[in-house]
Amino acid sequence: MMYGLDHLGAVQIARGVAKGDFSAVEVAEASLEVIEAKDGDVCAFLQVCAELALKTARETDARRAAGKNVGPLAGVPFAIKDNMHLVGTRTTCASRMLEHYESTFTATCVRRMIDAGATPMGKTNMDEFAFGSTTESSAFCKTRNPWDVERVPGGSSGGSAAAVAAGEVPLALGSDTGGSIRQPACFCGVVGMKPTYGAVSRYGVVAFGSSLDQVGPFGRSVSDVALAMNALVAGGKDPLDATSRDVETNYLAGLDDSVEGMRVGIMGSLMTHQSLSPEVMLGLKDACSVLEDQGARLVEIELPHIDSAIAAYYVIGPCEAFSNLARFDGVRFGYREPGHATLAEQTAWSRAHGFGAEAKRRQLLGAYLLASGVYDKYYYPAQQVRTLITADYQAAFDRCDAIILPCAPTTAWRFGEVSDPARMYASDLFTISSNIAGNGSISVPVGLGRDTGMPVAAQLQGPTFQDQKMLRLARALERGVHEAGLMKAAAIAPAFVGRGR
Amino acid sequence: MKSLAEVLCDWEAVIGLEIHTELTALKTKMFCNCRLSHHDEPNTNVCPVCLGMPGALPVPNREAIKSIVMAGLATNCKIQKRTCFYRKHYFYPDMAKNYQTTQGPVAFCMNGRLVLEVTGEGATERPDSTIGKDDDGSYTVSIRIKRIHMEEDAAKMVHVGGKEGRIGGASESLIDYNRCGIPLIELVTDPDLRTPEEARLFMEKLRQTFLALGISDCSLEHGSMRCDGNVSIRRRGDVELGTKVEMKNINSFKSLHDALAYEICRQAQVLEEGGAVLQETRHWEPSGRRTTVMRTKEAADDYRMYPDPDLPPFNLPDEFIEQCRARMPELPDAKRNRYMKSYGLRRREATYIAADPKTARLFEEAVALAGDAPLMVANVTMNLVPAVRNVQPFQVASISQLICSDAITFAQAREVLQIVDGTTDDPRQVVDERGMRQCTDAITMANAVDAVLAHSKKQINQYQDGNKKVIGYLIGQCMKASQGAGNPKYFGKILKERLER
Repeated sequence: MMYGLDHLGAVQIARGVAKGDFSAVEVAEASLEVIEAKDGDVCAFLQVCAELALKTARETDARRAAGKNVGPLAGVPFAIKDNMHLVGTRTTCASRMLEHYESTFTATCVRRMIDAGATPMGKTNMDEFAFGSTTESSAFCKTRNPWDVERVPGGSSGGSAAAVAAGEVPLALGSDTGGSIRQPACFCGVVGMKPTYGAVSRYGVVAFGSSLDQVGPFGRSVSDVALAMNALVAGGKDPLDATSRDVETNYLAGLDDSVEGMRVGIMGSLMTHQSLSPEVMLGLKDACSVLEDQGARLVEIELPHIDSAIAAYYVIGPCEAFSNLARFDGVRFGYREPGHATLAEQTAWSRAHGFGAEAKRRQLLGAYLLASGVYDKYYYPAQQVRTLITADYQAAFDRCDAIILPCAPTTAWRFGEVSDPARMYASDLFTISSNIAGNGSISVPVGLGRDTGMPVAAQLQGPTFQDQKMLRLARALERGVHEAGLMKAAAIAPAFVGRGR
Repeated sequence: MKSLAEVLCDWEAVIGLEIHTELTALKTKMFCNCRLSHHDEPNTNVCPVCLGMPGALPVPNREAIKSIVMAGLATNCKIQKRTCFYRKHYFYPDMAKNYQTTQGPVAFCMNGRLVLEVTGEGATERPDSTIGKDDDGSYTVSIRIKRIHMEEDAAKMVHVGGKEGRIGGASESLIDYNRCGIPLIELVTDPDLRTPEEARLFMEKLRQTFLALGISDCSLEHGSMRCDGNVSIRRRGDVELGTKVEMKNINSFKSLHDALAYEICRQAQVLEEGGAVLQETRHWEPSGRRTTVMRTKEAADDYRMYPDPDLPPFNLPDEFIEQCRARMPELPDAKRNRYMKSYGLRRREATYIAADPKTARLFEEAVALAGDAPLMVANVTMNLVPAVRNVQPFQVASISQLICSDAITFAQAREVLQIVDGTTDDPRQVVDERGMRQCTDAITMANAVDAVLAHSKKQINQYQDGNKKVIGYLIGQCMKASQGAGNPKYFGKILKERLER
């Protein structure tokens, strides 16, 4: 391995490959070596597509040799959550149901990363069909937190977060329906962004909750995440996703500008919420001071209906999941249980044994909530709550440029520590409101917990389709955290430093 | 069983129709870019979207929305600018996603109506005098339309080895996804129809309207237009509705009429024998001329409908609706009125010609070429053209002129039309080349008449004894003698002169 390539961020790699300091193939090989060395412990990947990676990297190098444009992500290795299609790989959603499912087309988000010059390294572990907050519901393996292998990486995009935290790849894609990018980013000490709903195409991403799902990047720095965002929105609205929108933004422009005078909303009752552990509360306090040091002004805001967000989310999400997962019936693809005499039995048993417990729980919940007579009691009020929360945000953003919130109530917990689904669902309190309202949000590491030594993150949320402004504040927070020595810049999880071969 | 006429004296039938029409004039399917065709090899026009593959997303076909708006305008519906798609869930192998994308309570078109003119034999089916019948028994009735909504068609199932292609007894079932995702508009009437003839006329008028709009080929035979009928009966004077039976597999106008007539008589018999009509779906068997039970409805199906989150709600701009209105062609009723007014056509002829856009176009172009012979052009169009496959307007025009100028007889015109069918030959030339032009030369004709009379003593006596009909035989003999070149009208005139001298 060329020394230190695995420690570089996406921005440096792309620059180095473009300049010819090193080749895309060298970078891909370095990534493969780190994966080889570390993934036995971390289990971030379900599949590593070494051949495809090297082939893509060789093409990047050939383009450069021919004097052609190599793209803004030239040679940057990236990992893909296993609910996104890439031709040449299986897309399993970490479910028995799709254990052998080969992608028949490539997701727009993955395509755009590759078009920008990035190198796909493989598919990462996740909670089955993205239902979960720990990646433990994967049918295939347990992903470990690179900061402490006894702890969960968070979820549902736990594999992508862990792969970036362990230094296996500088970038990864995740999907976020209720916090599935931001919470694992928080647990693994990396940056994770959920863009505004509609900014990134969902075409080719196996749907969980269609009105909530949004694809976004993980990186070890805000700049890397901004660079990936540029690639994800390049080309504008995806004609294959009716809910996608044009966003003409260069997320890197002005990223390092001063945030002097920008207003950051703070909701007192959330920053000292009873569910917050003391070390998280301390981390958030530090984050607020850091932002003030950077010149931002803290203003009090209210989101009066945010307490209803969890209830609304656990109605809307399962309802959408119920119908999105109905197509898995074992007839044309996916797991089919043999030996049944009738179609109804075959469908029922294929689903009974193809899906794990959490996937079944969510679908049953959805089937119940949409039943006639029940719909009016739950689904309809949930949509009303959605309207109220969206209005809350609009009012709040009249008074500030972004809101600072906790990301998760605690740092990463130990395996098996939280098993009650209701308690697990409650831990999504701080993240789901921006899926409900659709606005952008980002998780930024702000230090290590006083008690657990595990990463603590702050969450910034911005107004709809103003993700650039949010990223600028995120960058200021990151800069301040490094300056204050609360956390090392673009840190790879220390548990693995020096453990490579 | 009693006859329909007997039954309808005591009972009133209450009929509603649900008519599905595939928008076959469109190039692509409802939510993807697959080719829309009925004539291709099975499963060749398919893609991840219409196959319901995980990760695929629908994008609405704008042209399909235009078509349904036009259908709504043509049937006096109120166009709903704010509407959206819903998901309707049920497991069936012909449903790729196991939910159908359709519309909810608010369809694109709501609250329309069609006015039917019931004439001739069919009008006698309705015995009640409240309807306000004309002297000849014909009457006009306005049928309310509840809604027309947009949805996607399911795949086509082909059952192999069973009776009449039905699932019962089949050894295997094949699925052709070419049909899956074809845009379908479903029109639902209010239960305003009272006789099988009214139902048949409604369907016929709707077909003519959609044909004029050019949105579908409306083929009942190939299933691009399909009709389900709901029928119940009640004692004349009763207000309460009876139990309704739904009828499927109606694939011709005659089937629609006969199935309803059979079902009305069957229900009357059941009730008169003290039985009860069951709420069920019945299948029309044209071969046996009866309906048989398909399934009995024990409980209402729960489709768990909710708004499709993959398809943003519509807010059709006024300009869009105006564009659709501007694209509307002249509809059959308006066309009929114009023919009556401008060309002096009789109602029956005008209605016939205006009903079919192709016939109407042929007629109008031929009239323009023939100058002042609209009545003869109408006569030829209505009585001769249906027997041939493909004739040009100029051919119809010149044939009409030839008849008007007594150059050929109507019978000869039939022959000429058959000769020029499918060619671009000029009928005048055909007539001249084949020596078909009738002789109107007085002397030649008089000689022919005298020659015939010389051998027809018996007929002359009969005529003079008062049997005037015998002149027909004599005209025939004259035609024979002139080898068809004489004009029978003239022969008749000369014969009369000679016989009555």
